[in-house]
Amino acid sequence: MSIKDIIAPFAVWKRAFEKPWTIKKPIDDRPGADRYRGFHKNDGDTCIGCGTCETICQNAAIDMVPVDGVQGDGGDSGLRPQIDYGRCCWCALCVDICTTGSLTMSNRYVWTDNDPDVYRFIPGYDSKEWDNAETGYSRPEGYSLLKEERVEMPALSVEEGLKSFVEMIKGYSAEQAVKEADRCVECGICVAECPAHMDIPGYIRAVREGNIDEGMRLLYETNPFPASCGRICTHRCEEVCSIGHNGDSVAIRWLKRYIADQVELEDYGKALPRPEENTGKKIAVIGAGPGGLTAAYYLRMLGHDVAVLEARKAGGGMLRYGIPEYRLPYDQLDKDIEYIRGLGVEIRYSINVDAESFKNLEKDYDALFFSTGLSDPYKLGIDGEDNPRVFGGLAVLDEVTAGKDPKLGKTVGVIGGGNVAMDAARTARRYGAEVTVLYRRRVVDMPADIEEIEEAAEEGITIIPQAIPLRVEDAADGKVGFVWNMAEMVDDPDGGRPRPQPIKGEIHTFVCDSLISAVGQGTNLPYLPEESESGVAVKRYKPVVDERGQTGNPGIFAGGDIVNSRKDAVSAIGDGHAAALSIDRFLMKKEA
Amino acid sequence: MVDLKALRAEMDKRYKVIEISEQRTDLAFLECDKIDVPDAVAYLRDHEGYVHLSFITCVDRLEDEQFEIVYMLRNHEKKHDLGVKTKIDRKNPVMDSMHNHWAAVATYQRELREMFGIEFPGSPGVNRPFALESWAGPPPMRRDFDTRKYSEETYFPRPGRETHDPAEHMKKTQYPGRADL
Amino acid sequence: MTQMPDREKFPVHTGGVENFDLESGRYMKVWQGPQHPGVTGNMALELVTSGDEIVDLKTHVGYLHRGFEKLMERRKWIQNFPLVCRICVPEPDFNEYLYAAATEELAGIEIPERAVWIRTLNLEMARLTSFLMWLGGQAGAFGMGTIGQWTVTMRDFMLDLFEELTGGRIYHMYIVPGGVRGDVPQGWFSHVLTTLKNVEKVLDDIELVLFNNAVFKKRAVGLGVITPDMVDYYGITGPNARASGVARDIRKDRSYLIYDKLDFDIITGISIGVDSDIFGRTRLRAAEMRQSISLIRQMIDKMPEGPVHVSPPNVLHWKIPAGETYLSAECTRGEYGYYIVSDGSDKPRRVYVRGPSYTHAVALFEHMAPGTNIADTAGLMVSLHTYPPEIER
Repeated sequence: MSIKDIIAPFAVWKRAFEKPWTIKKPIDDRPGADRYRGFHKNDGDTCIGCGTCETICQNAAIDMVPVDGVQGDGGDSGLRPQIDYGRCCWCALCVDICTTGSLTMSNRYVWTDNDPDVYRFIPGYDSKEWDNAETGYSRPEGYSLLKEERVEMPALSVEEGLKSFVEMIKGYSAEQAVKEADRCVECGICVAECPAHMDIPGYIRAVREGNIDEGMRLLYETNPFPASCGRICTHRCEEVCSIGHNGDSVAIRWLKRYIADQVELEDYGKALPRPEENTGKKIAVIGAGPGGLTAAYYLRMLGHDVAVLEARKAGGGMLRYGIPEYRLPYDQLDKDIEYIRGLGVEIRYSINVDAESFKNLEKDYDALFFSTGLSDPYKLGIDGEDNPRVFGGLAVLDEVTAGKDPKLGKTVGVIGGGNVAMDAARTARRYGAEVTVLYRRRVVDMPADIEEIEEAAEEGITIIPQAIPLRVEDAADGKVGFVWNMAEMVDDPDGGRPRPQPIKGEIHTFVCDSLISAVGQGTNLPYLPEESESGVAVKRYKPVVDERGQTGNPGIFAGGDIVNSRKDAVSAIGDGHAAALSIDRFLMKKEA
Repeated sequence: MVDLKALRAEMDKRYKVIEISEQRTDLAFLECDKIDVPDAVAYLRDHEGYVHLSFITCVDRLEDEQFEIVYMLRNHEKKHDLGVKTKIDRKNPVMDSMHNHWAAVATYQRELREMFGIEFPGSPGVNRPFALESWAGPPPMRRDFDTRKYSEETYFPRPGRETHDPAEHMKKTQYPGRADL
Repeated sequence: MTQMPDREKFPVHTGGVENFDLESGRYMKVWQGPQHPGVTGNMALELVTSGDEIVDLKTHVGYLHRGFEKLMERRKWIQNFPLVCRICVPEPDFNEYLYAAATEELAGIEIPERAVWIRTLNLEMARLTSFLMWLGGQAGAFGMGTIGQWTVTMRDFMLDLFEELTGGRIYHMYIVPGGVRGDVPQGWFSHVLTTLKNVEKVLDDIELVLFNNAVFKKRAVGLGVITPDMVDYYGITGPNARASGVARDIRKDRSYLIYDKLDFDIITGISIGVDSDIFGRTRLRAAEMRQSISLIRQMIDKMPEGPVHVSPPNVLHWKIPAGETYLSAECTRGEYGYYIVSDGSDKPRRVYVRGPSYTHAVALFEHMAPGTNIADTAGLMVSLHTYPPEIER
């Protein structure tokens, strides 16, 4: 102990003359730091209501609730997160995992109120003063809790692909499939968008967990064409995939294919349920395309007897005759069809149904489902289109399916922008032709799948957009000339998509060996009796059905391309499934 | 650095070592029979330099009907940690007390009795509650004690909360016609 | 003037049964706590006194038990990082680091170098912040509240730095499995250096008025002596052990993170020439605060560039291979450790949190308190630097 020990402590007094550290709140406001994790903000226009924030929240502070004025559609569930700040711990896991990046946090943290219920609100909808705060926590650059990059699909090189009709996409290995399946957040946004409403999160989970049999079971719950759809589905699901908002969408289609590829046809029965006890009901299905066979499958599973009548020599409809082998090998389509046939569905080929036999079918069977597809190619509606060097797109694909060389020559022009146009162009390319596609609108307006357009371009196919057909004329050396007018796009005053308008003087002639016209197909229903006889109304060339496929005649149902607007395989499958359940309901109710 | 083979050879002379495994160069786990543990731990402390006890804890191996008790020892000289593990019967969970080995052992044993229901006969104050005064339920750290169920039964949820599954909600609002088929 | 208990004066009690005859009029039972018996958190001390002398002490915990270890078994791997920081309020970062590092070890994830540096920086800042709070508590326990005002102010400036870096003041939730959550914001390093200067200045003042203080010396010198032979038996770690001359510091002994790239020595009671009493431990901790300041400066100086995070697999389905590990780190109080067992699922099988207070506040404190004066209990307890939440997890 020294004298210093007595005196030194008095040094604290010097602090009395210093400026105090204390902040005079609220006179001097102290905002939270730029990264402060304060009350949430949510950008309602970006949010899709996928609920991943709710899933990750370890405090169960988030509820997904419907919000007035938010119309859920096209990949938006219509729900929005509501946060209970009595439970929130401000960890911002919800912000980090938000698939769209809509959820962020403000740097506001001071808010007092007597009513505890005000601390439960829907950020972005229940207006708060920090809604437009510029600072606060958001997911840091490069920090991700999800995998944004898709596992690359092994495929043949373009050069290899052009040499033959061998399937280009090789399919995932088990390791790749599990890795890809791991990217899914199981939000289920995709289910509504899928025309067949498949349990997509369910079968992706099955892939992740290596449970292929469970995957097969889930696929067949809503879609008996997994091997085919796993290859050529228009995969609208992937367009709305929540992961796709900040990265590549999950390769849902390839995962479906992966499941189907793992199981040999002989083993399907081990994974899949057997048909129910026979009901004694008989149903006739007209058309063995995806719609007809799907209806047949589910009707058979419900214990009904089903006879499918098909005009052509093999089943599958457009899947067989409209889609080239390099996209969908015939053995894969046969796998799907064979399984359905093997359950006891009778398929009668080469049977043309006419009005008379239609009426007989109605009499002989308890119910009728028809799904005959679009077989009537649209005309170009221009002079000279009956030139012998002009071929129909479907006709060309048809011939190739039958194993014949379509003999198109060295240069080929394809008119149209849909999948048939792309398939015809790529098929012609495989026969060694230089191919040019001419389409009346812009590339972005093409109805074909974006992948088909990209792959066509990679294969060296030239695309000339904004080309309005004028006429077809003979050219020198037995060639054919296609005269077209360059168009500019003008906005539709009614708010529709931009329309092509010819530019004066910009008239060109494209000379080639063959022209393929593929501007779409329409319905052809020669077998359908008059409405007065059959009870089936036809409006704008389409049979009128309710959303479950029932026509004006309660015993007659229709589905597929002839009734829906999407005109793809999976929509036909969705129609077939709905009609089957609807028929079952109709028949069994009649019984009861 | 510790030569695990040599350590195992030394241990094998005296006790039944079931397994020894290396996790890192400075961390290994050694499994013995329950009966050998108090002596083995004392041996490791007195002859192998594991003078410091980091902790004692238990892992509930519910599916094997066993409790795994872990004694984490530290050798400061050789900069090595050694977890001595043993399995005891979950239906009759009794373990020999080691309260004479280190001062804190009695506390750990008190806590293990409270949280897992493991008995340590003779351990001072082992029956006094540790963190859970007047707790009447089963030992809460056992895996078959469901905390969620307990809290749902014991407390009331805040009223007015309801959530919706996106896929189910979309089914009802976006394709109701087909959803009910 | 050592005030160790005279064991022969009092009847020995074992088996948790108190043999003190409270009816005799010689003894009185006093409860200290559970409302913050120091600045340490809620914990109750059951004292048996004879006059103003303590003859027996029992530590009671349970006032902060939230069942973290159990909660973690019910949550996915990623969902636990917001949880673990709550186990130790003044020093959450050690929980974050140990949980993340143990998870990474089991999952086989290597994190970028810059992330390792930022983690180390974070931990040293946490040490400094926690020591500031403790120093105020230690002075306050002996009636010198002014110093508590100063240190808590400085702690708040440290928390400002954490807020700027991590987005949170107390619970930072910044060190995550895979690295750290975001890179250092623009200008942050210079803010750190400015604050360190202020802290140093206050530390100068504190050393002047606390270590040259007749009252503090009278009360703290010779009180609560820890001898080297107690260290192993009582499981003493950290400054409590080092003040007695035992040179053990996990930062040196195990050189985790980047401590092997930094220049520092283990500070012991011998190296700075103090006794292992409360006064000595206070001086030792003040020296460790200066050590932390030096380490932070070194790290800011040498900080490498690069990414700060690697992404784990999709965290919603993240499964970690079966295995177990124990990782420890040198926090302000000693050995902080995480023992994690994975059974290969998407949730931990078992997480055990080893806090140094577990032995310091129970076995050691119950041994040291008898024989001391009742007025010194708080000072003695604070000098062991105990935080109850890490005892009961």
